[in-house]
Amino acid sequence: MNLLEKSELIKSNEITASENLEQYIQEIEKKNPNLNVFLETDYDKARETAKNIDSKIKNGEKTGRLAGMVIGVKSNISVEDLHITAASRTLENYIGSYNATVINRIQEEGGIIIGMTNMDEFAAGNSTETSYFGHTQNPAAEGHIPGGSSGGSAAAIAAELCDLSIGSDTGGSIRNPASHCGVLGFKPTYGAVSRQGLLDLAMSMDQIGPFASDTSGIAMMLDTILGFDERECTTIDWNVPDFTKLNPVDVQDSFKGVKLGVVKQFLEVSDDAIVDIIQGGIDKMEEAGAEVVELSFDHLDLCLPTFYLINYVEFFSATRKYDGRKYGYKIEDVSGEEVLRRINIGAYISQKEYNDKYYKKALQARSIIRKEITKLLEGVDAIVGPTVPKLPHKLGASLEPMEVYAYDVLTVIANLAGIPASSIKAGEVNGIPVGLQFQAKPLEDAKILRLMSAFEENNYYFLKI
Amino acid sequence: MKCGLEIHVQLDTDSKLFCDCPTNYQDAPPNKNICFVCLNQPGAKPYPPNKKALDGAIKIALMLACKINPDVTFFQRKHYDYPDLSSGYQKTSIPIGFEGDLNGVRIREVHVEEDPGQYKPDLGLVDFNRSGIPLIEIVTEPDMRSPEEARKFLRELIRVLEYSESARGEGTMRADVNISIEGGKRAEIKNVNSIKGAYKALQFEMVRQKNLLKRGIEIKQETRAFLESQMITVPMRLKEEADDYRYIPDPDLPPMLADEERVEYIREEMPEPAHIKTDRFVKQYGIKKDDAQVLTSELELADAFEEVVKEVDPEFAALWMRDELKRILSFNKITYKESEITSAQLVEFFKLLLDKKITTKAGQRIIENLPHNPKSPTLIAEDLGLIGVVEEDVVQQAVKQSIEENPEAVSDYYQGKKKALNFLMGQVMRITQGKADPGDIIKLLKGELDK
Repeated sequence: MNLLEKSELIKSNEITASENLEQYIQEIEKKNPNLNVFLETDYDKARETAKNIDSKIKNGEKTGRLAGMVIGVKSNISVEDLHITAASRTLENYIGSYNATVINRIQEEGGIIIGMTNMDEFAAGNSTETSYFGHTQNPAAEGHIPGGSSGGSAAAIAAELCDLSIGSDTGGSIRNPASHCGVLGFKPTYGAVSRQGLLDLAMSMDQIGPFASDTSGIAMMLDTILGFDERECTTIDWNVPDFTKLNPVDVQDSFKGVKLGVVKQFLEVSDDAIVDIIQGGIDKMEEAGAEVVELSFDHLDLCLPTFYLINYVEFFSATRKYDGRKYGYKIEDVSGEEVLRRINIGAYISQKEYNDKYYKKALQARSIIRKEITKLLEGVDAIVGPTVPKLPHKLGASLEPMEVYAYDVLTVIANLAGIPASSIKAGEVNGIPVGLQFQAKPLEDAKILRLMSAFEENNYYFLKI
Repeated sequence: MKCGLEIHVQLDTDSKLFCDCPTNYQDAPPNKNICFVCLNQPGAKPYPPNKKALDGAIKIALMLACKINPDVTFFQRKHYDYPDLSSGYQKTSIPIGFEGDLNGVRIREVHVEEDPGQYKPDLGLVDFNRSGIPLIEIVTEPDMRSPEEARKFLRELIRVLEYSESARGEGTMRADVNISIEGGKRAEIKNVNSIKGAYKALQFEMVRQKNLLKRGIEIKQETRAFLESQMITVPMRLKEEADDYRYIPDPDLPPMLADEERVEYIREEMPEPAHIKTDRFVKQYGIKKDDAQVLTSELELADAFEEVVKEVDPEFAALWMRDELKRILSFNKITYKESEITSAQLVEFFKLLLDKKITTKAGQRIIENLPHNPKSPTLIAEDLGLIGVVEEDVVQQAVKQSIEENPEAVSDYYQGKKKALNFLMGQVMRITQGKADPGDIIKLLKGELDK
């Protein structure tokens, strides 16, 4: 039973929303003390919402597309009356005063928000170890990091603590933990989802997106959260596809006529064991009819410096409001090492005298990277490759900043270029999940979903549903 | 000396620049006109910029003869740390207009930015009602040579802003005044909140800098604050320690392209700026430049004048409106608009005068009764018993009567006391109930006495 089928059972009153919710509450109560996925839960409000939905369904009233689905929200997305901490001591006691646009949309569609998930502090990380509230366990690979920064939202799906979850992705923060936890993660085209209510990491790259255990769930959430927001200036006004209708893809011709690009440099920087799994996945798609071409991306070495320079400057700017006057603590006084590093470097390189040297250069490099990836995408439907070049390290391992940043090399391109990208499980190395990434042209989010769906059908045997 | 100005004035809009909150910040209780956007709470993003504010800024730029930036316009983040700034940075646009001119003072640029909240250091409180209200900033070149020139420029600028009907005027003005004198570096004076303040600050600074130079002390580049209460400036900081605002383009506000058609539409619809209207009045109506300047000092007054001269001689109307009308307006401390006097009332009033139905003297009394009075001037004149001009033989009769009844004054007159004539004229006025023309009376009195 996939998530769409489950939602249909709820709508036809064969399972009630309350039953669905209570089952998850039990699971959370059992597993969360060990996993540390949820930082806060709101069972009372969730129960009230579930009851409302059930009575609506019983009375034959119209319900939304997410009716009765239980949803986890990353702690950097504003939900009224819940703690929006961004996993930082800075916002330890900050309670959301308003709903992010995506939260309003989820609630309008009958989604039940169960709680706020753990993350790297201010999303500045890729392990969820930098949370002020402690690390999150990887439910799919015990003892390892779940990835990040949306580690809690990915782990919530992997540990079956909710139906769907949302996270944010600035340089891979959805795809990276999806890969490490063996679930599906989707970063939409920049501007496809409103950022209104998303706490900033790097505003020109941040994007909200869903996690789910199957593509029907991803489609349901994309249908809910994508679309123009007249109150968020960077959203795009476009004809949003109906993702649920596109899904599922007919297995027989799933990859017929599809042209996939494989960038050799993406494989070169990845661990051999990961390349083996990804190559296996690519082979299967080829068997199913895809045409696979090799591509060359010449500026991979530019990507991380460019990404981090922009990230530092925008993050420095975004955190000026945490001056200790309004939200408890001044960010510099209480933040962790990585957040402080980003603020300090951001402050340093955005100085007038260095402006031309760093930030402007980074913006120029960004446009080079965007041009190159756009050029590569012109000839293919999608680029396919590993999501993360390394396996998740063991919890508590000590890494240098550059080693940490190296996890991001394959995911930052999508954010620098604003293109849609996803991660889907392609296999395991010693029981540790490995994710396969699809990247496509801007606003071709539907194409990625179809490819994920086809991939899911072809690899049904190891994708647990 | 050289003086350049940076003037901030609030744009007149109903809602704030980046959210829907109302802009009546002075009427509302503290922290009432706020939302998560203008408080910049975690996660909040600006709504699209207020169109009325942007159009208003374009209009003002055009009225200041600026070129309009044909390329993309965008907002930048200007970072500084102060309690009144809820995001830690101010959103400020790149120039919307540039290379303008107002009466010979070059306008360097015009741009839009958001107002911060209001911090009350003595109470340690911040009122964010003002946070996010749109401001226009007008930057001049250092083209003013004296405090008087700066004052004149500011008065003219406030007139332009008033004419634009897009800005709030002197009450919301905040100016930074730059001044340098021969042989010294530039000082920037902050916290200037009125035209008078700018004038006083410049006067003070000119004397201060001249005295320093006289004593052979070098004038450093610095930022000073103006203390309105004492009309002096005090040091704030040397320019070397100036803040680095770390400007970056705001990623939450994508670049906007100025719509050429929109700009042309605004150009066609925009009101005629005061300084241009003045020149036109001189040319079109043949009135004196001084008179024209007074008439164009208020948009409604200028409009009324143009209505009136459709039926009344322009020179006559200009004279009365400049002298007598302005006199009663300033006596009552009201604008023409606030006086509620209509152009129809003025036309009727001037016709009474021109048709000699009332005397000049009576006219002065009637016009005093015009503000906040919907009655027609004829009715007012009747109520006051001022209608009608007395025939000459009646005046002649009154002259004779006054001479007969006041022999002492008459003898004073013959002894060369000029005051006596005035006294006698007053008597004639009393007898004729003010309906005789003072010039005529004098003539007749003199004729009678000098026989």
